[in-house]
Order: sequence, then C-alpha cells, then structure tokens
Amino acid sequence: MAAELEGSKCLSGLLSGLAQDTFYGHPGITEELLRSQLYPEVSLEEFRPFLAKMKGILKSIASADMDFNQLEAFLTALTKKQGGITSEQAAVISKFWKSHKTKIRESLMNQSCWDRGLRSLSWRVDGKSQSRHSAQIHTPVAIMELEIGKSGQESEFLCLEFDEVKVNQVLKKLSEVEESISTLMQPA
Amino acid sequence: MEESSEPQLDAKSKVTSQLIDFEWKLGMAVSSDSCRSLKYPYVAVMLKVADHSGQVKNKSFEMTIPQFQNFYRQFKEIAAIIETV
Repeated sequence: MAAELEGSKCLSGLLSGLAQDTFYGHPGITEELLRSQLYPEVSLEEFRPFLAKMKGILKSIASADMDFNQLEAFLTALTKKQGGITSEQAAVISKFWKSHKTKIRESLMNQSCWDRGLRSLSWRVDGKSQSRHSAQIHTPVAIMELEIGKSGQESEFLCLEFDEVKVNQVLKKLSEVEESISTLMQPA
Repeated sequence: MEESSEPQLDAKSKVTSQLIDFEWKLGMAVSSDSCRSLKYPYVAVMLKVADHSGQVKNKSFEMTIPQFQNFYRQFKEIAAIIETV
C-alpha cells in the first residue's frame, strides 16, 4: 500500500469530504476529486479500497452514535486488526468525530424525518371590527402563518385564523403533548 | 353608493383557513438504515383545515422537541394577548 495511505496528513480532509457526501447531502464530492486533491500520488486502484474502508468506519461510528469511550474501544480494536488502521489514523478519526458528532447526528435526524417539517411560524393578533350586520364588534382574531416544507422542496404557507376559543382548544392539546413529552423523557 | 355585500374588512379572510381539528402524535424514531441509534423523539401534527369555500383538507408536518416547545410558547403568547384585546 502506498505510504501516503498509511499516514494521517490528509485524512482529516478526507473525512470532511466523506461527511459532506455521506451525511450532509452535498453531492459532487467524488472519489476522483478526493483522490486528486488529497492523495494525487496514489493510484485510483489503491485509493478506492482505502476510501471504502474510511467510509465504512465513519458510517459505523455515526450509525451507533458512539460516545467517546465506545469510540476509543472501536478504534483501538481497528488498530490491532489486520488491514485495520494505524494509531495516527485512529487519532485523526477520533478528533474528527469529537468535532463533528453533534452536526452529523443532527443531519441523520433530519434525514429520518420523512414528512414535512415546520420551517417557520409567524402570527399577528387583530382586533377584528365587523360591520353593521354583525354583532361581533371587536372580536380579536389571531392570524398565524405556518411555513411547512421539506429540504429540497418548496415550502407551503398555511395561513390560519383563530378566535379565542380555538386558540384555547389548541393550547389544551399542546399541553397534552407537553405532558406526554415529559413522561417520555423521564428517566425510567 | 350602494353596497350589495358586506364590506371586506379583513383582506386576509379570503386566504386564511379555519382550523377544524388538531391531531397529534408523539413518536420516537428508534433506528433507521443510516443510523442504528437514532433515539429521536418528534411530534407529528395533522391539521384539519377548511378554506374559505368550506373545503376541508389535511395538512401534516413534524416537529422536533425544541420546535414543538417554540410552537407551544407562541400559542401561549397568542392566548395571553388575545385575552387582553
């Protein structure tokens, strides 16, 4: 194997590139791009299995959302394995995971949301004054605009009108949700 | 000058919808193809809304817990204000 692949000099750059492609959904980071930018001396035949190995390691770490003890144990085992990694490489991977763990996890969580998400919410309360035929003078209404959408798709804007009764009904439902969340989050 | 219909006082009333029902589900994403250890709670919401012509549609979306907490806080603020108007 080429000496460059044993070293750790360009590994941090490689891991960043892999994370862009694998977790952050930025296409265009190709095998050839990574090779020519980071390991120009290495042939594609040698680079390909190396890249696959690093990608596999990164995916395993992210998939298990390893904490730092798990990570140390996992990397130590790899350094002892035939065709594994060197301890310099283990150090680079460990450093990389420490600084990217939160962001990668967030990105994986977003990928697991298949319905549309709530992108933004704005509201206004109007003192609605109605006309000569209506008894409802100065009934306040809340107008709420919800922006819902999914990454890579255009948002839909949903504009809702609520009177006081409706607001309180929704509020009651939301308090039920909150109660369920507290129950769920309670340590068993 | 004759007016045959109610004057339009709220220009937005043509585009706003009325909420008919608010259904919710608290879910926990446990594991997926890309992440075996997701453990990620979320709130899924299904709004039944009627537009100005009376047509009822379902609109669904998901919120993370921090997003839900913000959503809840906004509604509390609205309720506090609407009470004083």
